[in-house]
Amino acid sequence: MPQEPKSRKTTQDPVETSVPAPLLLKLSLEDNLHELSHRIGSSSDIVTRHYKSEAEPPLSLAFIYIDGLVNADTVNQAVLQSLMENSTLNGDQITTEAAFKLIKEHILPIGGVKEARTLEVLLPLLFDGYTLILFEGLEVALAADTSGWEKRSINEPTSQGVIRGPKEGFTESLRTGTAMLRRRLKTADLRIEEYNIGQRTGTGIALVYLKGLASEQVLTEIRRRLNAINTDAILESNYIEEFIQDGGLTPFPTIQNTERPDAMAGGILEGQVGIIIDGTPFALLAPSTFFNFFQSSEDYYQRYDISSFLRLIRYGAFFVSMLLPALYIAVTTFHQEMLPTTLLISLAAQREGVPLPAFAEALLMELTFDVLREAGVRMPRTIGPAISIVGALVLGQAAVQAGLVSAAMVIVVSFTAISNFVIPSLAIANSIRLIRFVMMFIAASLGLFGIMSFLMVLLIHMAGLRSFGVPYLSPVAPMIPRYLKDIFIRVPLWSMNMRPKTNLGKETRRQVPNQKPQPVENEANPSPSQPRPQGEGPA
Amino acid sequence: MMNKPGNLLRLLLILPLLSLLLSGCWDDRELNELGITSGSAYDWENNQWKATYQVINPSSGASGMGGSGGGSTSSPPFLTFTVKGRTIMEAIERTNLTSTREMFFSHSRITVIGESLARHGINQLIDMFLRKQDARETVFVFISQGDAGMILDQLMQMTKNQGAGIQLMIEQESRLLSYYPGIRLYELAMALSSESKSAVLPEILLTGSQTMDETSETAVTDLPSRLALGRLGVIKGDTFAGWLSQKQAFGLSFLTDNVDSATIAFPSRPGASGKLDASFVLQNSATTVRPVWVKDHYVMEVNIKGSGVLTELGSVMDLNDRKAISEMEESLEQRVLELMNNAWTEVKRLKADVTGFAVRIHRSDPKRWKQIEQEKSWDNVFQEIELRPQVSIEMERTGLSNKSFKSVQQK
Repeated sequence: MPQEPKSRKTTQDPVETSVPAPLLLKLSLEDNLHELSHRIGSSSDIVTRHYKSEAEPPLSLAFIYIDGLVNADTVNQAVLQSLMENSTLNGDQITTEAAFKLIKEHILPIGGVKEARTLEVLLPLLFDGYTLILFEGLEVALAADTSGWEKRSINEPTSQGVIRGPKEGFTESLRTGTAMLRRRLKTADLRIEEYNIGQRTGTGIALVYLKGLASEQVLTEIRRRLNAINTDAILESNYIEEFIQDGGLTPFPTIQNTERPDAMAGGILEGQVGIIIDGTPFALLAPSTFFNFFQSSEDYYQRYDISSFLRLIRYGAFFVSMLLPALYIAVTTFHQEMLPTTLLISLAAQREGVPLPAFAEALLMELTFDVLREAGVRMPRTIGPAISIVGALVLGQAAVQAGLVSAAMVIVVSFTAISNFVIPSLAIANSIRLIRFVMMFIAASLGLFGIMSFLMVLLIHMAGLRSFGVPYLSPVAPMIPRYLKDIFIRVPLWSMNMRPKTNLGKETRRQVPNQKPQPVENEANPSPSQPRPQGEGPA
Repeated sequence: MMNKPGNLLRLLLILPLLSLLLSGCWDDRELNELGITSGSAYDWENNQWKATYQVINPSSGASGMGGSGGGSTSSPPFLTFTVKGRTIMEAIERTNLTSTREMFFSHSRITVIGESLARHGINQLIDMFLRKQDARETVFVFISQGDAGMILDQLMQMTKNQGAGIQLMIEQESRLLSYYPGIRLYELAMALSSESKSAVLPEILLTGSQTMDETSETAVTDLPSRLALGRLGVIKGDTFAGWLSQKQAFGLSFLTDNVDSATIAFPSRPGASGKLDASFVLQNSATTVRPVWVKDHYVMEVNIKGSGVLTELGSVMDLNDRKAISEMEESLEQRVLELMNNAWTEVKRLKADVTGFAVRIHRSDPKRWKQIEQEKSWDNVFQEIELRPQVSIEMERTGLSNKSFKSVQQK
């Protein structure tokens, strides 16, 4: 296509798909069918069925649907059968206009019936599993919702398992996802806004939020960014994430993704906005702060003491995963005086005969682990055990015995790797996988001084990040003490009276205060059956 | 793009950050390039410094290592280098002529000063320790009669790192016995630069005649020669002044409030036989020293308060009797007094104020101290100091039995 190179730079440059002008339906059924088949070709899965009544002049209709996207039973019984067996349509003389009205309002026993005048409206409906009903002599057509394609059943989430808590995860179906949220949030405030993004994929995207809890500014901003996406394909939630997330060049994710409807409902209840994308079980939650990535939905299904403990462990694991190899390199090559003597001697003994400098040794082992990890994701299930045995031997025994690496380095690398999996969100765990390598490089050249400097740089970067207007490190920086109840520790539920626990949405009251369980005193409270007698208001 | 002020600012911020990388790497050392020094010894020989360094041999020190690192267990846990030079650093640098590894002093635990050097003067050594970056002022300092380097050659049983072993020995000693205080280098420097200008150093010696410096020699249960703590060396100014015996050292510990816990042997019936037949573990002890100017000389009011447990009793005695206990307490007090007076006489004879009395006087009576300083009469004043000790020791418990076994037997 000979185009001016300048016009490519304009923001309004359309994606390279042919977008013809809207085409109105014609009176002739033949013409319409011809135009339709011209548009979509003669694909084998498109079914066209003609119908002519016995009256004179006959009422002539055409049904078009896509096999596999529709529920065959619905099409046959609710559309074809009910029309063909209708005596009024079949026998009596009836004008096409009257027939149209009759079919639309009386005959079709289907909830979703739409009428349309252009192919541009009809075609997406066809691809959504609607059955189109075209009339001879009318410039308007009907579309009946007969969709019903094969779906994966609801399964346990694979990437975010829990011991205690609901075991169902989102599926690839957008409607299933919204239904799962509806089931959890039985309130009139739940709002679901749908978008279709992607000129070739037309992916359905649902914005889910609670009116009154989600911040209006955030909503406006998300809508603006969603509407600004002009691309041809959205295949997974990451497409949306990359298009709308703040700080495009940061290693840190500013949007959470989750496979769990309960986690999403929890987020929405705190004022976050959920984005469900058709075709992937991973939904998005925005805005998200750094600390959201360390919260797991299981934190609220376990007792608060153990949850707090586990959460602190996760923060520890975060730092271990990011810093341990770097610290090892820095201490063993620059700051040997920091180690206890016995440990130093033991480490020095292990290094006797190791040919590589500590940095190269660490790099080698870290890369080996990343290769193994990637192989573990890609390889067929059946050869998994073989790879893990080889991996364990390569990483562990053999490398040490061959004198390639020291035993301490194997411990450091394995502990780092395992720590990485403690973090509940894969998104942030992956981001520190990269930072770890930068850290190692800096530690090898500058020692602890370099590590501290780079941590400062990271901190400054994170303090400057925002997720849809919410500072990334809030509520720690800027410090908002009352929001700290669910950041490093989780306080008991009866003490979290205000929502949200961070400034993700509007701050509103979540529950009645003073709900801490108290023993019932017999005299003061003669009827134990009475539920929560002084529960209302502050005591 | 570059003309935007924001970008320029960013560039200006990034440039110094990049320059940080230029400064990296110059001092990185892999662990297997280091000669980890666990102890050092210094002698003065033919007007030269003779320094001996004990370098840990890691492949022997850590046991059960996998991989190629594990050397044979028969290789010695440490190696020693002896080097000579006109200055200490010259000597240290000469180690690089013979050793494959760069000396790394941060993990040094002890340093031994030979008597020859102590007589020559140790100022320069202390200066080097305080000045050099990787030298540690926290090393324990010992003095050795004869060649200090010999001490470092001696292998120890139960511990492979000899320097750490000696440190452990002196720490335990000062905690359990209180004969000598463990003196770290900075404490030595502080004592020598204080008003007293004197310090004590525990002596380390070989009990046998020869050094056990072969690994095969340590494979016996009772070594013919061991490292042991002996007397207390007294340094005045920066040179050696003399020795205090172990008993005198113990007395000095009482005078300087260095008693942590100690075992005292004493006669349970001082009047009857005077035989040392009972032991007492002193668990708490505090010494206060108050200088008082009386007419023309200082009187030191030394007040010792202690308490502890009776652990051994060899005479016929009924401990239910309060009188018996107070008798023993009195005997103990006499014993401590005796130790202290003994120490004091010897300190006076050596003319070295290792008791720290000068510091006390300076603190309690700065005016008179100034005068003493101006007249440079401290040595005379020190000689005229009169000790007025007062000891009170309380026997808090008598152990698990009330009567001595001897008295049970005699019934």
